[in-house]
Amino acid sequence: MIRRMDDLDVMTESGRDHEIAAALAALDPASGDPHYWLRFRSWVMSSAARELSRRRLVVRLTIGDVLESWARALVPIAALFAALAGLLLLRDDPVGDLPPIGVEELLVSELEGSTIPARIANVTFAAEVF
Amino acid sequence: MSEPPSDVELVRRARKGEEVAFGLLVERYQRSAYAVALSVTGRHEDAEDAAQESFLVALDRLDECRSPERFGGWLMTIVRNRSKNLVRRESLREMDELPFGAPSRIPAPDRTAEAAELRGMLREALSELPEVQRQVVLLHDLEGWKHREIAERLDLPCGTVRSHLHFARKSLRAALRKVPGIPELMRVAQ
Repeated sequence: MIRRMDDLDVMTESGRDHEIAAALAALDPASGDPHYWLRFRSWVMSSAARELSRRRLVVRLTIGDVLESWARALVPIAALFAALAGLLLLRDDPVGDLPPIGVEELLVSELEGSTIPARIANVTFAAEVF
Repeated sequence: MSEPPSDVELVRRARKGEEVAFGLLVERYQRSAYAVALSVTGRHEDAEDAAQESFLVALDRLDECRSPERFGGWLMTIVRNRSKNLVRRESLREMDELPFGAPSRIPAPDRTAEAAELRGMLREALSELPEVQRQVVLLHDLEGWKHREIAERLDLPCGTVRSHLHFARKSLRAALRKVPGIPELMRVAQ
């Protein structure tokens, strides 16, 4: 009796047909060349090297750009604040050198360039306003 | 043992230019890309060219892959389009439509004459099938993809995949049955 291929129930667990799969295996380039897929992958990888390298560069540049933009804004502002702080320190410095004086002493002592009575002449009293 | 990285993870890493990640994607899909290309071109050399070029195109356009979880299907679309373009270019160059399974410019190395004979018969038998049936039967019975995977990656309903597979197998069996001594040839292939 001739056994027809249609009659064969030769499915694997995954549903593959043993007979058809065995026949189609002849179309797998690795059937006659065990290293075929390794060479295939190597060819693709060597051809893709430039694009992969470009992508790595883009990622690095993006991080660098962010840092640079931060630095660009922060460094001048920090320098400006440092300069202002330096100026303030220099201006305030003589005040720290003045000797402590009492209220009475202050009232009778001469201010630099003018006396207290001269200053008082410029004072407007509340009674004159109202 | 750790799980193999998902397509989503590999695509994310490959977008940053990570060589290992792209290499794993190539390794995962090279056989199916070749099978799909072969189902369109019918020739080993053309299928190889189309499959390899498709990986390079996919890398160039990786940022356009909006659903990395469906990378396989997206890649297979590229493979089909590249293969069709290649066949069209070849046809124009040779001013003649090449039938599916026409001999390769440089034939793949044959272990034995019997294996070569079987390969020739298979190409002829496959050439009788519609393209989609060739893709389904090659992906299922050669590459071992499940119905669901084929459906997702070829964008077909699962029932349609089963139907294509059934008719493709039936046609292949009928074609191979005509040839005397086919079981022996298939044993050689195994």
